[in-house]
Amino acid sequence: MRILYIDTTTNYLYGALWNKDQVIESVNIKLDKDLSVFTLQKISEMLSKQNIEPKEVDKIIVVNGPGSFTGIRVGVTIAKTYALGLQKKISTISSLQAMAASSKTEATYKVPVIDARRGFVYAAIYDNQNTPVLKEQYLSLTALNCAIDNLPGEYTIITNDSVDIEKKEQYIPNFFNIINLYKDKEEENPHLVNPMYLKLTEAEEKKQSEIS
Amino acid sequence: MKDTYIFGIESSCDETSCSIVKNGREEIATVISSQIDIHKNFGGVVPEIASRHHVKNITIVIEECLKKANMKMEEMDAIAVTYGPGLIGSLLVGVEAAKTLSYIYNKPLVPVHHISGHIYANNLVEEMKFPLIALIVSGGHTELVYMRDHYSFEKLGGTLDDAVGECYDKVARVIGVPYPGGPTIDKWSSEGKDTYKLPIPLNDDSYSFSFSGLKSAVINLVHNEEQRGNEIRKKDLTTSFQNTVVEVICKKTMKAIVDKKVKNFIIAGGVAANQCLRNKLKELCEEKNVHCTFPEIKYCTDNAAMIAASGYFAYKLGRIGDLTLNSKSTDTLQ
Repeated sequence: MRILYIDTTTNYLYGALWNKDQVIESVNIKLDKDLSVFTLQKISEMLSKQNIEPKEVDKIIVVNGPGSFTGIRVGVTIAKTYALGLQKKISTISSLQAMAASSKTEATYKVPVIDARRGFVYAAIYDNQNTPVLKEQYLSLTALNCAIDNLPGEYTIITNDSVDIEKKEQYIPNFFNIINLYKDKEEENPHLVNPMYLKLTEAEEKKQSEIS
Repeated sequence: MKDTYIFGIESSCDETSCSIVKNGREEIATVISSQIDIHKNFGGVVPEIASRHHVKNITIVIEECLKKANMKMEEMDAIAVTYGPGLIGSLLVGVEAAKTLSYIYNKPLVPVHHISGHIYANNLVEEMKFPLIALIVSGGHTELVYMRDHYSFEKLGGTLDDAVGECYDKVARVIGVPYPGGPTIDKWSSEGKDTYKLPIPLNDDSYSFSFSGLKSAVINLVHNEEQRGNEIRKKDLTTSFQNTVVEVICKKTMKAIVDKKVKNFIIAGGVAANQCLRNKLKELCEEKNVHCTFPEIKYCTDNAAMIAASGYFAYKLGRIGDLTLNSKSTDTLQ
């Protein structure tokens, strides 16, 4: 099965091409503001290097957040348009799942963390089987610290951001581990593949606080 | 000659739209998913909310459009997309979708300037004849453009501050006209009397426009009347405001038509739906024996049919983009 993996939820493009149980191409580059400019070109380069036509891809795995709102939309729009157009299977995983799956830690719990500013983070907690103990959520750093303190075993924080927590491990995507773990994940309707922002827009938040 | 089908995508503001147009003239199918009811709650378009809805809608709109036309993407000759100007996050969704379609179906990608789209909405009514003067009036633009031929845009002048549509929105808010303000002002103004005296902005011989002074004049008038405890005759004020706007736009437009000695005139953009402006310009053009074209009302607001129509001529002229096409919040029409 040929799988195309796309993650544009940070200022990096993480992409990979999987065939016959191995990663045959990958890309890991810092694109910052140019993510929307170069993502599709880099995907096309991965495929053409392997002489694979777009229609020969069987499945797309797209990371749908949390992370940069604009970044998420780049990957999700490409993935759902691709899947709809060529009738390909598509499934989503979260950026936090990808981070946990890439970890080298031997600790019992993996805690991927993304900075969401103003003392808030996007985080989740997974056990060493990658089963979620705490689902992906937007929460205060204080609340996260509290959740970590109550864990019955050793844990590792996985992050690339300057978040004020101890026991940190850098996140470097391990494409083999991520795709291998989620390659058989249930396929979704491309129309319903949408970003997982985990956070309302500022305008909506303001409106909500006005109402309450 | 073989027919050319262009698949157009527009997502520059709060409308997700796709359309298929044949030979730049004939609309085969158009689908528009409008977010107006969502943004109404916030008194205007919220960019992040708009972007979120574009992602949600984009594939549904693409599929609907093909279904409506009973065609396949394989039958298209090119994919045209609005790359700018507009809200950057909104544009990005359309551009990424268009690039993906271009890539997976191996079709040429045609970047289209949003304003050129508005201009070519006229080509869906009848074939544009050159040379012509185009008046572009919308929420983001007020421009007079001279066109010698297809895709030859010479800007004669534009607004120095607010766009006319922007001025309508702000004045609507001050007077207390419900969102979207433009259409309501247009309606109310036909029911009121021109009793308020407002200054005619930038009443000179240039092709430039300025609307911020007029906007301030209305704001001051409303505040002064409120302070004096006088009630505002809302409908009369909309009449006076609209008459002033229409007068200055007509004056500068007719000057451009006479100076450039053209026999063809087109109007484009959201404010082109304004009945008062339409009627006045039509009247003035008839007097001068100038052929005047308006887009259908449904093509005045943002839609992908106009993008596909404009995209047809861009495609024929070889104006093709590649997979690194970027969306731009501002860009000169060229």
